[in-house]
Amino acid sequence: MNAVTMTAPGAQAIQIDGLRVSFGDFVAIPQLTFIARYGEVHGVIGPNGAGKTTMLDVITGKTRPKAGTVRLDGKVDLLGMDEPAIALAGVGRKFQKPSVFEALSVRENLETALRLKPRSILAEIRSWADPRRGTRVAEVLEEIGLSDLADTPAGILAHGQKQWLEIGMLLMQRPKLLMLDEPVAGMTEEETRHTADLVRRLRSPERAVLVIEHDMAFVEEIADRVTVLHEGNPIFEGRMADARQDPLVRQVYLGR
Amino acid sequence: MPFRFLRLQGFLAAAILLLATLVALPAAAQDRADIVAEICSGDFAAQQSALSRLAGAGVEAGSEGALWARRIVEAFEGRSLRCGDGLAVIDTPDGPLRASTLEPAEGVDTSTLSAPSVNLRLRAVAASAGAVLRLFTEESVAARAEAAAYVDRRREALTPEILAAAVERETDAALRDTLSTLRASLLLADPDPVNRIAAIEAIAQDATLRNRTAIAEALAGETDAAVLAAGEKAMAGIDRTLALGKVLATLYSGASYASVLFLAALGLAIIFGLMGVINLAQGELIMIGAYAAWFTQEAIRAALPGLLDYYLILAIPVSFLAAALVGLLMEVLVIRRLYDRPLMTLLATWAISLLLINTVRVTVGSQNLEFYQPAYVSGGFPVLGDFIMTSNRLFAIAVALFAFIAVVILLRRSLFGMNVRAVTQNRAMAGAAGIDTRRTDMMAFALGSGLAGLAGLALSPLYNVNPGMGTGFIVDSFMVVVLGGVGSLVGAIVAALGIGQINVVIEPIYGAVAAKVLVLLLVIVFIQWRPEGLFAPKGRR
Amino acid sequence: MAKIQSDARVDRPLLFRIVAICLLALIVAVPLLGGPLSGSALGLTPYLANIIGQIATFALLALALDLIWGFGGILSLGHGLFFAMGGYLIAMHMLKAGYVYGGVTPDIMTFMGWTELPAYWFGFESFPYAFVLILLVPGLVAFLYGWMSFRSRVSGVYFAIITQALTYVAMLLMYRNDTGFGGNNGMTGFSTLLGVPVGAPGMVTGLATASLVVLLLAFLACGALMRSPFGRLLIAIRDDEARLRFLGYDTLWPKLAAWCLSGVLAAIAGALYVPQVGIINPRLLAPEVSIEIAVWVALGGRGALSGAVIGAIIISALKFWLTGFVPEAWPFILAGVVLVVVTLLPNGLLDLKPQRLLAPLRRNRKPAPEPAE
Ligand SMILES: Nc1ncnc2c1ncn2[C@@H]1O[C@H](COP(=O)(O)OP(=O)(O)OP(=O)(O)O)[C@@H](O)[C@H]1O
Ligand SMILES: [Mg+2]
Repeated sequence: MNAVTMTAPGAQAIQIDGLRVSFGDFVAIPQLTFIARYGEVHGVIGPNGAGKTTMLDVITGKTRPKAGTVRLDGKVDLLGMDEPAIALAGVGRKFQKPSVFEALSVRENLETALRLKPRSILAEIRSWADPRRGTRVAEVLEEIGLSDLADTPAGILAHGQKQWLEIGMLLMQRPKLLMLDEPVAGMTEEETRHTADLVRRLRSPERAVLVIEHDMAFVEEIADRVTVLHEGNPIFEGRMADARQDPLVRQVYLGR
Repeated sequence: MPFRFLRLQGFLAAAILLLATLVALPAAAQDRADIVAEICSGDFAAQQSALSRLAGAGVEAGSEGALWARRIVEAFEGRSLRCGDGLAVIDTPDGPLRASTLEPAEGVDTSTLSAPSVNLRLRAVAASAGAVLRLFTEESVAARAEAAAYVDRRREALTPEILAAAVERETDAALRDTLSTLRASLLLADPDPVNRIAAIEAIAQDATLRNRTAIAEALAGETDAAVLAAGEKAMAGIDRTLALGKVLATLYSGASYASVLFLAALGLAIIFGLMGVINLAQGELIMIGAYAAWFTQEAIRAALPGLLDYYLILAIPVSFLAAALVGLLMEVLVIRRLYDRPLMTLLATWAISLLLINTVRVTVGSQNLEFYQPAYVSGGFPVLGDFIMTSNRLFAIAVALFAFIAVVILLRRSLFGMNVRAVTQNRAMAGAAGIDTRRTDMMAFALGSGLAGLAGLALSPLYNVNPGMGTGFIVDSFMVVVLGGVGSLVGAIVAALGIGQINVVIEPIYGAVAAKVLVLLLVIVFIQWRPEGLFAPKGRR
Repeated sequence: MAKIQSDARVDRPLLFRIVAICLLALIVAVPLLGGPLSGSALGLTPYLANIIGQIATFALLALALDLIWGFGGILSLGHGLFFAMGGYLIAMHMLKAGYVYGGVTPDIMTFMGWTELPAYWFGFESFPYAFVLILLVPGLVAFLYGWMSFRSRVSGVYFAIITQALTYVAMLLMYRNDTGFGGNNGMTGFSTLLGVPVGAPGMVTGLATASLVVLLLAFLACGALMRSPFGRLLIAIRDDEARLRFLGYDTLWPKLAAWCLSGVLAAIAGALYVPQVGIINPRLLAPEVSIEIAVWVALGGRGALSGAVIGAIIISALKFWLTGFVPEAWPFILAGVVLVVVTLLPNGLLDLKPQRLLAPLRRNRKPAPEPAE
């Protein structure tokens, strides 16, 4: 095992307090408190339907909670903002299902993902040819390893390549909070290893990385800290190695 | 409108009179002789009373007595009644007849007898009595109606009791109404204010527009303060009941339209919730259901005419299955190839609707179909004021209710229902759990189509049935789905009722177009206010 | 791996050029063959010239729909509404101009029982004024409806059926006499257009040529727009609107811009169409008319501008030809075309000639993506 040693916790990037989410009568998250810190890769695991994706939905503005607060950097209240505003505030999210613009080339996907002029879309598309855009695209292409495929339509990429492209699109903006929903689901072993390397490289003092995954080995490899969610409740927080030993976690995963 | 209380009273009156005649039967012959004697008496007062009694005899409706009385009155009017020497005969071309028995009066020399003298007043009473008797003896409705119009002008021999009896035996609804009104105005014309007040109160018990008009007319010339007060009060009471009746009638017709919409929209909502497909041919499936009902009718008429009355009931499975079969074919041949391309299914289902409309047009023709209306879908039950619960609308509501209960049971209790709910919630997961999602889609599409077929059956006694009929319903059905939210039975009911009501409330005041405009605006505003009510959580990302 | 060019995304570059050249050729040929050479062997009868003109307006209409559906992924089943708006506005102009300058009392005044034209006809005798309204009124209606729908994220089939309901309701409204636009008689009996009597020789070929010119300009302009960054954004919206929003784009405005542009283009098509057929009535607002527009685009190939133009030309030419002698057969043929296209040719006629550039995409028979719900 190649467990990452726990470093001293950095400043709080995202701070969730008293969060309650329900769909009709069904309570997906009863009462959640959660913190992700700068400089850390934070894994979130839990069985199907545990509320992991729902938590991301709330942070990114897709789902409105019934109660609670979500703050970025301890001050920006994300609940009052819409999806584009939250994204511009520095929250990037990869969807569970790979989501790229299939008819655009890899390069164009990345170009589109960079907002140089957050204030206006018109200004943005006028600055399409801005050299900074090209520079950044080249950097990210390098980072995600798709430089050779820059002019390929995204629709014909392999599944794993699409996932990397989507991560690359998020990186274009240099987000403060990067959230990946099941990045290695459906990947080959080789691709998974490649992704683990990529995620590890993403760790930086200016960034908090949140990774939702079912693949325990992958989480163990990349995460500084894990939270185990079960029916919307965090039942464990700490190192992955300890999580494996935790009786409650074992019960949740291995059946009651 | 039937005058219920009048009818009841009339019934009592008739019963009493019948009793009286039974008791008096042995004395009838004597009575007739007396009446004839009085007519011949030459005393105007006695003659007048005799003529009135003759009119009263008509109460023994259609009986020999009424015919006899009519004969006497006509003879009197025609001056062929001859009196003298305690003898009364009717002069006919075939020889004289005894007035009291109508038997030939042999050996009577009519030239020695003279017609009783008449004055204007007497002539009027006789004319009135003649008309009253025609009311009771004429075979044709038209002739009776003519007689009724006559007695309305010439009321000399008319009494409320006579009219009560006439209403009671009258078979024509319109004529019965006329007679009831006449009776009401007769009662209201009573010289005694106390009787007039009683009459007003009695009439007001049956709150109809006709009675209200009768009271209002009677009050026009009224001077007595107590009568006026009673009249005002009675009219206010009638107005309240009428208003309530009107509201109920509107709600009722709204509910019946809503039933049809509900059936069509429920099918749409099930299909949309499951597959994300909006079936633009749903209106044409309604049409198929209605045509299936018509074919059932024709088949039964040809093969088992005795069962024709039950064709609407027998058509329930036929309409359902016919539309379900068309739906099944649509799903298998077209829809399932368009999986994940919901916008293309719009075009495809539209093309199918085009095919269905034109196929029916070419094969059956584009005229409105003639539907036989069995007793249980014609007429209705009077409820309150002018509100009649008509059976054809009741039939639509009953079919919708029946289908709703069946669908609820199917979705809640059957394996198929469980599959539908599972696939609607999470297709991938349901598929992984071993549910045959393709088969579920197919069955659900057939179910949704069958429901539209039932809608077609339910509306066949209510609306015109022709190849293009579906287009009128489809927009409203969509609006039900949009308003009600997808996959929600309760939402579909509430939205169907709401849209059904808006249509019937607005339509009579501002027209059908205004109703449609309003529904559309409502939907557009609604989705501003509650967009999430629109979107089924379709898969997760 | 194949390279992608923005040209290929907007259209097959070769096909695009062929269509543009054909249109150009028609622009030259129609006035020549319909005018000076009309008597020659190749000469165009006025009837044929008129049909070419009408089809050009249909192609323009298809182009308008392709913009929003093929590129934005937003299907409208109500483009007949904008088309009819343009038609009604130009009809009002022609009647009012004939009344004011030519002293021709419009029929509409007789059957509506008007002694003078109502206040909302004010200024319609002026062509510039009418022209501005032809751009403004449909643009405004498109804006209001689009703004309300996009803001509350109404999309996909919901958006489509509500546009259909909107058009249907507009039809019901226009069928009423008291709406004030001629009821089911609509408007007809036009006498002049731009000061030229409608019966004048050359009017038919002139209008047909004008329609072809507008079509060509719109075709080239739409091509340029769709190749521009705006077009790329629109395609991104079609492919995955949620992804774009979560990247920080408020997609409301680009969608609204494309939607309004599409509505205005459709209105211009209507304004060119009505003078050529000489009548406008509410039948243009029937849902099936609007759906037919979508069929043109689907047949030609969504997301390819030349496809929309070709689809409109094929279907409407077929319709003109067939309804001439077997009108009953037309609905069956139309329905058949739709069913074949949607089940066998997901990308319309473009599927018939697989092109090398997009071959890998087509190998797994993947239709152009629809927007995520
Ligand atoms: N929009 C919604 N409407 C209704 N229920 C929802 C909605 N979104 C999520 N849920 C429900 O909330 C619960 C939590 O879902 P969520 O997607 O957050 O789980 P998850 O932990 O991400 O699971 P998985 O590992 O399968 O992705 C599930 O039971 C799901 O069905
Ligand atoms: Mg999830």
